[in-house]
Amino acid sequence: MRHETITQADIRWLDDPEVFRVNELPAHSDHRFYQSQREAQQGHSSYVQTLNGDWRFAYAKDPMSRQADFYQADYDTSNFDTIRVPGLIEFAGYNKIHYINTLYPWEGKEFRRPAYTMGPDQKEPGMFSEGKDNHVGAYVKKFTLAPALANHSVRIRFEGVETAMYAWLNGHFLGYAEDSFTPHEFDLTPYLTDGENTLAVEVFNRSTASFLEDQDMFRFFGIFRDVSLIAQPAVHLEDLAIKPTVNDDFQSGRLTVDAEFSGQQAGVVAHLSVADAAGNQLYETSSSADGDVRLTDTPFEKVHLWDNDDPYLYQLTITLTDQTGQVLEVVPYQFGFRRIEINQDKVIVLNGKRLIIKGVNRHEWDAESGRVVTMADMQQDIATFKKNNINAVRTCHYPDHISWYYLCDTNGIYMMAENNLESHGTWQKLGAVEPSYNVPGSVPQWQAAVLDRAKNNYETFKNHTSILFWSLGNESYAGDDIEAMNHYYKQVDPSRLVHYEGVFHNPKYKPTISDVESRMYATPAEIEDYLKDNPQKPFLLCEYMHDMGNSIGGMKSYMDLLDKYPMYQGGFIWDFIDQAVAVKDEVTGQKVLRYGGDFDDRVSDYEFSGDGLMFADRTEKPAMQEVRYYYGKY
Amino acid sequence: MANTNQLKVIYGDGTLGVGGNDFHYIFSYSRSGLESLVIGGKEWLYREPKPTFWRATTDNDRGNGFSKKSIQWLGADMFIDAKSIEIKINDQPIAFPGAPVNNRYSNHEFADQVAITYHYETLTIPSTTVTVGYTITPDGAIKVAVHYAGKKDLPELPVFGMRFIMPTKAVGYDYDGLSGETYPDRMAGGIPGVYHVDGLPVAKYLVPEDNGVHMQTNWVAITRNSTKNNADSSTAPFSLKFEKIGQPFAFSALPYTAEELENATHIEELPLPRRTVVSILGAVRGVGGIDSWGADVEPQYHIPADQDIDFDFMIKRG
Repeated sequence: MRHETITQADIRWLDDPEVFRVNELPAHSDHRFYQSQREAQQGHSSYVQTLNGDWRFAYAKDPMSRQADFYQADYDTSNFDTIRVPGLIEFAGYNKIHYINTLYPWEGKEFRRPAYTMGPDQKEPGMFSEGKDNHVGAYVKKFTLAPALANHSVRIRFEGVETAMYAWLNGHFLGYAEDSFTPHEFDLTPYLTDGENTLAVEVFNRSTASFLEDQDMFRFFGIFRDVSLIAQPAVHLEDLAIKPTVNDDFQSGRLTVDAEFSGQQAGVVAHLSVADAAGNQLYETSSSADGDVRLTDTPFEKVHLWDNDDPYLYQLTITLTDQTGQVLEVVPYQFGFRRIEINQDKVIVLNGKRLIIKGVNRHEWDAESGRVVTMADMQQDIATFKKNNINAVRTCHYPDHISWYYLCDTNGIYMMAENNLESHGTWQKLGAVEPSYNVPGSVPQWQAAVLDRAKNNYETFKNHTSILFWSLGNESYAGDDIEAMNHYYKQVDPSRLVHYEGVFHNPKYKPTISDVESRMYATPAEIEDYLKDNPQKPFLLCEYMHDMGNSIGGMKSYMDLLDKYPMYQGGFIWDFIDQAVAVKDEVTGQKVLRYGGDFDDRVSDYEFSGDGLMFADRTEKPAMQEVRYYYGKY
Repeated sequence: MANTNQLKVIYGDGTLGVGGNDFHYIFSYSRSGLESLVIGGKEWLYREPKPTFWRATTDNDRGNGFSKKSIQWLGADMFIDAKSIEIKINDQPIAFPGAPVNNRYSNHEFADQVAITYHYETLTIPSTTVTVGYTITPDGAIKVAVHYAGKKDLPELPVFGMRFIMPTKAVGYDYDGLSGETYPDRMAGGIPGVYHVDGLPVAKYLVPEDNGVHMQTNWVAITRNSTKNNADSSTAPFSLKFEKIGQPFAFSALPYTAEELENATHIEELPLPRRTVVSILGAVRGVGGIDSWGADVEPQYHIPADQDIDFDFMIKRG
């Protein structure tokens, strides 16, 4: 689906909550595709050209002082610096590192009310486009297309950019994107040239999206995840929906695979095969690859179920061949059969057995690079989960690096896949619930933006077996807009449960938001009160056992609830790893870990950035043995 | 040699000396405690062991205001004096042997058992008392019995025990107890066993705070290989052992006092480690975990101030 292409960037989009994506390709499945089976086995696609590395960079303290025409193809960037992509602008030394919890990062410096929260005419022009605290990063990357990408349609993918970005190629406007933690793709094909191409990206520290990204974390900006050029063959599997279901006997199942193909070429055939984990071919079929196709809807008489103990995955492979039989594209995807539902006793069951969540909340963190995490970080985290009997993770409070979802599939980690949404500062002030300017709330002009976030999350990650719950966001209160997000997920994905905690503060939405009763930091006694009083929904703790410093005392009282109440389903410890930044101590020269307020950053919440089971250097805190014990016991 | 199975007692003008085979202890009258503990020629004390009441504020303590509620115990921890001292020889009380009463003794005084008890008064409102009794037998073993007199109207205690500050940093310690750092409300994951710890590690919580407590300990042996004695350049390791008598105890072995930890906002601000602070604990408050902004530690893991606390342990050659 193509909308009308916008050819001119407008900085005023930063002020407008109704503009959050311009010219972006629609969100789609995160499947990887390769030119051959051999490439697929090696995990390296010649259709992909990385743009990670050194880019040219200019920093401006505000929009007014930026080099506004830097994107032009012939712009002289000889006075630009060099910056590493992916990387955060703060870690490159341009902007102050800043940690703050619930208050907005401009607290005490700028007075802001989200557009339309004070009335239908409150448009707030200039709030961000002329914001004195709206720092700007101008990135330029010159590239020549690798031969393997030549003569194909080519898109660019940004996997994560905080907080709002504009992009141009060779002076032509590509598009605009918010939602910092999901991929943004733009079609480059019309503007590519044979020789050197000039990509320009302008990243703004703040926009209306800032109101939706008030997570309890260090506040950064920049291109912090991978950037790639991706070529598509003449016909390409644009989107893929793998829908394995398990029958009531928990022995057999069905597999439905829906595909959406882009490109047009007669005679292209999609071959679908399914193999078990040992590589035995179980099923094969072929059909024409043209438009939207249901590739298969087939029964499996015997299925090996997926769960934490036995994360058994089947191998789906879709191969596109042209009319001469030549392979255009190979798409491998591993999937599992598992069934998550709420049973007649109002208990969440996985494959018919009560689900017990022995979880953690996990921010993406690396003390050396902030929210730029490496594959090694992720693999180490999975190993830590396994060692300590952690079976579930909440992607607090935004979608994670794509590789993390694959790792959770293969390692049997139950995911609560959370949207990039937290608007804490709009409804809670000095601890009191005060939603006078809450967004998204029920403000109509904010609804499309949060629905887009829900869609980005769903469309990108829908094929991951590990995801049992979609989470609408964190601590954003509740209103019509979050209700609409709930409705969206129910509509597109009846196979999973929807989670949201914020409805606790606005209970009138309880019937229409969240399949589960979710709380954070409820005491064991409060949980019992709920469970003894005709509970309507199964109960889980999306955050509990706040592991700030020397903590995790009294865990037994929570674990005992598992023995007493089937509808108590466990929870996610807050949280997995301290957010602290490795720096060289100015006095001793030693490498030390610093927290909020240590960078002259004000207003701050200081050491509240460190609540992990792991220290920021990824060594275990002493309390981990307690978690290992209790999580191993259930 | 005569009398090697008896203790030699030196009735000093300011101290009571108690010696034996390769050990010598000196109890100070003016400094409110055991001033010197020498075994095998090595001094084990930097300053006199005193009762300890304070733990460096944890994040949860700060969040729920416990440090403010219990602040009197910080003062009591930093400043405490004995108001009286009692001495028993062979289990018989004697008149306090200060000058000139001690003129009746000689340089050849021996005993089968020497006991000295310090009666401390806390600088709290109201004040309460702590008695610490040391009983020495000819094998050099010291039995330490500690009694806290419960008192109404005092705030709950952060911790209660005896703090021993050793002159140099230990090279490590061994103990028979639970694995890892444990607290009363966080010890289910501790696995019983005998453990060796290299050095005196401080758990690197972002803000230095109470850490390193080991619950349910049968014994702990501290090993050093250096002294402050300018005439002793040996680096051979030597050890001192704290051993349970009846109930197991809790302990921590750190290079810092609670006050030193309390004052730092980052690990790197702590002083260079140069001593060993061993706290033998009779009562430990839980750390809590429900949240870090108000939730209390569960009631069964509090230390009520209005109830007596008694604990005892042995000090021995390691």
